[in-house]
Amino acid sequence: MSFFRRKRLFSILLGLIIMVGLIGYSLSDRDELSAVEEFFQDVFGWTQQAFLAPFNYITKVVDNIDGMINMYHENQVLKENLAQYQRVLYEVQELRNDNEELMALLKKTESIRDYTPIQASIIARSPEQWFKQVTINKGKQDGISQDMAVITADGMIGKIQSASQFTSSVLLLNGFDRSNRIAVTVMLTEDGGEAQGFIMGFNEEREQLILEFTEYYDEIPEGESVFSSGLGGIFPRGLEIGTIEEVTTDQYGLTQIAYVQPSADMENLNHVIVVDRTMVTDHTPDDTEDDDDKSEEED
Amino acid sequence: MSRIAPPLILLLLLILQGGVSLLIPASISEAGLIIVIHSVFLFLLLLVMFYDLEDTYYALFFAILSGLLIDIVYTSIIGVYMFSYAIITYFFHGMRKLLHANFYVALILMIIGVGLVDSLLYFIYQFIGVTNMGIADYLSHRLMPTLFVNLLVFLIFYLIFKRKLVKWSNDRFDPKRSTN
Repeated sequence: MSFFRRKRLFSILLGLIIMVGLIGYSLSDRDELSAVEEFFQDVFGWTQQAFLAPFNYITKVVDNIDGMINMYHENQVLKENLAQYQRVLYEVQELRNDNEELMALLKKTESIRDYTPIQASIIARSPEQWFKQVTINKGKQDGISQDMAVITADGMIGKIQSASQFTSSVLLLNGFDRSNRIAVTVMLTEDGGEAQGFIMGFNEEREQLILEFTEYYDEIPEGESVFSSGLGGIFPRGLEIGTIEEVTTDQYGLTQIAYVQPSADMENLNHVIVVDRTMVTDHTPDDTEDDDDKSEEED
Repeated sequence: MSRIAPPLILLLLLILQGGVSLLIPASISEAGLIIVIHSVFLFLLLLVMFYDLEDTYYALFFAILSGLLIDIVYTSIIGVYMFSYAIITYFFHGMRKLLHANFYVALILMIIGVGLVDSLLYFIYQFIGVTNMGIADYLSHRLMPTLFVNLLVFLIFYLIFKRKLVKWSNDRFDPKRSTN
């Protein structure tokens, strides 16, 4: 009996050691998933898509009925908006032409605003909701790689955490922390200048993002939109992230921070766009010198 | 059938788990509640109670395997679900000879089991730093709703699988050895 009890204790301890080892392995800084992980994620992704097809169909039907109820009212509002948009559209067109001409004048063809969109659908969400993680149905074969930004029509929702061959997992904005910062800008209406800062994480209680400014700015208008600045080298410029709700200082009173309400709804996600920034600044083929050491990984 | 059905059902549940969490209404998470449906673990508990015998460890084996798959597919940290599922399944395997497998015992075991698994997950994730939820918040906002929803799922599972599992167990192992 005592031998049996010892065996039991031994196997529990062994399990504990294996767990700690595996956790350590997966917490270590890995650029790529191991082949085993990729394989299982792809296999599960495929089968999930097959199984979810009927579910998606039902939700679509329900959504359609939901949409029909509000149709009349929405139609009225939309008609009003449309008249306004027409005017804005002309303006944008003109500005875009101007911009292209000026760029051509400067012989500048690439901009950190440019990106290639990759359409994708959500196929699963982590049942463990502490991982703010969803799976999409596009992977490396479709041109997706780690750290790309993921957006919806409303704004940015997150970034690619890891990519397998045919699926990839997206880390949502509300799971961001200091290790995945976003460089952002805020327009200052007063003098037309910009305030620079970083999204440093997510405040669980307020359910808002924390923006840390790099300098101290006197007048930061509340309600102003926050955009990615593209200066981090990974996300393109001009992706909408949210609006400023409150400007204050951090707990030591040294840095100015703001709480940002994300503009995209992180709960009801269906179709997303993965943003492949055209202009790569991280590993250009020119600088072969420091190609091996990855000095700038994030932000 | 008796050999292949339990792992197949587990696999199906694993696949569905990711989809089902998409269907949880947004109003729940906006209210700050976290609901985790441990459907795989509930089936493992049924396996321990009605399929496994005293000296077979299929449930434990499946627990390790499916826990590992959950870790790989749904979380970015490997080992947490694997360990939690395995150790609680092992614990209940050890307890099974003390208890008669009837509905009420199964119900109580399920509540204890899911409670233990979920709080074990909480402590490990808390320790690694995945979550920084306080324990009071955890109890009221995650454990309670999770227990309640899992209770409903368990009732459904019990109705569907109980008889089949006993039958599969008898088919597979010598009926004389069976404790049911």
